[in-house]
Amino acid sequence: MKEILHGNEAIARGALKANMKFFAGYPITPASEIMHFFAKQKDIQFIQTEDEISAINMGIGASLGGMKSMTATSGPGFSLMQEGLGLAHKLRVPLVVVDVQRVGPSTGMPTMPSQGDIMQSRYGSHGDYFPIVFYPNSAGECFRYTIEAFNASEESRTPVILLSDALLSRLYEVIDTEKIQFRLKPRGFKPLGDNKRHFTGLLSEGGIPRTRDTKLYRKWIKEMKTEIETVANRYNFYEYLENEGSDTLIISFGIASRVISSLKEKYSLFRPIRIFPILENEIKKAAEKHDKVVVLEMNYGQYKNEIERILKKEVHSINPVGGRIELKEIREELNGI
Amino acid sequence: MASKDYLRRDNKPIWCVGCGLYIILAQVTKIFDELKIEPIILSGIGCTGRSAGYFNLDTVHGLHGRIIPLAEGVKRARKDKEVMVISGDGDILAIGGNHLLHSSRRDIDMTVVCVNNSVYGLTGGQLSPTTKKGMKTLTSPFGSDIHSIDSQKIMMANKRYFFARTTPVHTEHMIKVIKEAIAWKGFAFVEIVTLCLETIGKNMGLREPANMYQWLKDNYKIVEDKDELDEFELGVVKHD
Repeated sequence: MKEILHGNEAIARGALKANMKFFAGYPITPASEIMHFFAKQKDIQFIQTEDEISAINMGIGASLGGMKSMTATSGPGFSLMQEGLGLAHKLRVPLVVVDVQRVGPSTGMPTMPSQGDIMQSRYGSHGDYFPIVFYPNSAGECFRYTIEAFNASEESRTPVILLSDALLSRLYEVIDTEKIQFRLKPRGFKPLGDNKRHFTGLLSEGGIPRTRDTKLYRKWIKEMKTEIETVANRYNFYEYLENEGSDTLIISFGIASRVISSLKEKYSLFRPIRIFPILENEIKKAAEKHDKVVVLEMNYGQYKNEIERILKKEVHSINPVGGRIELKEIREELNGI
Repeated sequence: MASKDYLRRDNKPIWCVGCGLYIILAQVTKIFDELKIEPIILSGIGCTGRSAGYFNLDTVHGLHGRIIPLAEGVKRARKDKEVMVISGDGDILAIGGNHLLHSSRRDIDMTVVCVNNSVYGLTGGQLSPTTKKGMKTLTSPFGSDIHSIDSQKIMMANKRYFFARTTPVHTEHMIKVIKEAIAWKGFAFVEIVTLCLETIGKNMGLREPANMYQWLKDNYKIVEDKDELDEFELGVVKHD
């Protein structure tokens, strides 16, 4: 059945399809429609918390208790969740965290889109960790990749981040959710309550703290990194539209990639959907065939730095910041490169 | 399980010899044994925050200040299980204060045991919200000029509440009120007053455990049927 859904509702509907049973969240523009949707559902646990710190910790608790859990927020709330994201990585708890990006820093431009949380989604918490991050670019993809975010989080036993933005959140599109193919990954461990396990944020072995054991830490973090990367490699989502007549490759994601979709007639376009761990091989391969690489993103070059790091060469940057993104402006900048 | 089986034998507590936390840990396991329950135990960060890790049960040691919401999430997913938070005054009343306000307001069915030792013990002895006015700590070297908080009043801000205050040396009383808190359908808060021997205890001339326990005995009195407890009164106040 065809329906008209916006990005936020598509995320919420995807979560229900993924069998999400617990949602905790705190109101924030432009993410609130996700919680409004869940507030009306009878067969899930829905709770409006006192803040985003509570939301993510409650999500961690409910997930440990056996329920697939999610929270959704925007930049400021996402910042408050960062410590919790680190805890979920340390405890190895599946969880989906949605960040519908708006213009920051601070309250900034709350109703306008941005892609300013790219680095926050990767490096926002303290210490080393290796999050899986997806960023869809249509209502249909919001539905589909929410389901995949749940799957990747169950498989990796880590919180998976789904990025969106203020434009995508309200982009109404006709989709047929019944035609979207998916499979669901089951929970890989028993819910908290009937065993004798200790889940601790401290470095430990068999529940016993080993807080000065460098060797153990190195072993533990290497294993975690490998496990997450192994799972991530089963979710190599991207779109590559090669234009053989072009010497320029444009890399973009989310709403920015949507705005330039018509440029495929003139340029090659690469769109990572799994933006972290970065699709190094796929991006390198696409870049090899082009003289120039341009990263288009609604921030001051956060992902561009990542692309330069992996390609080891100078990369051009187009940065429509401040909430407005127009094809005309982007075209003019491209002509100047 | 016998009461000793409720403890992980391979994980020895980090606490100082004579600390009130040993009495609390031992008595709580006896209560579980007597009630034949195996709750999920959760702790935040601090000396008391290590408690969860010593129970031979499914346990969680979460972030500083955030264990109440985490526990609420667990309870919402496992309504069939008893859920108990054991954490300190700094963890629950300072950094976690906002969550205490709201989880108690939502009246989620769990027991929060807040061990109030008047100070941040694990980090060396800084001022906590329960440090009494005039007390010297690392961060109030001239004596605290701030009045301490009364967690009872936080609970009483709710329409429905259960609050108990007790100490490890009033052992029978402590057992009784913890049992009552577990039986209470809704959010039950138990404040267990003790003193950190190495920091606040030392500053008050109560470094010896026997002296500290005598001080608790001399200063705190059990009362019954009161609507509100005075500062040095032990008992239960509740409203259904």
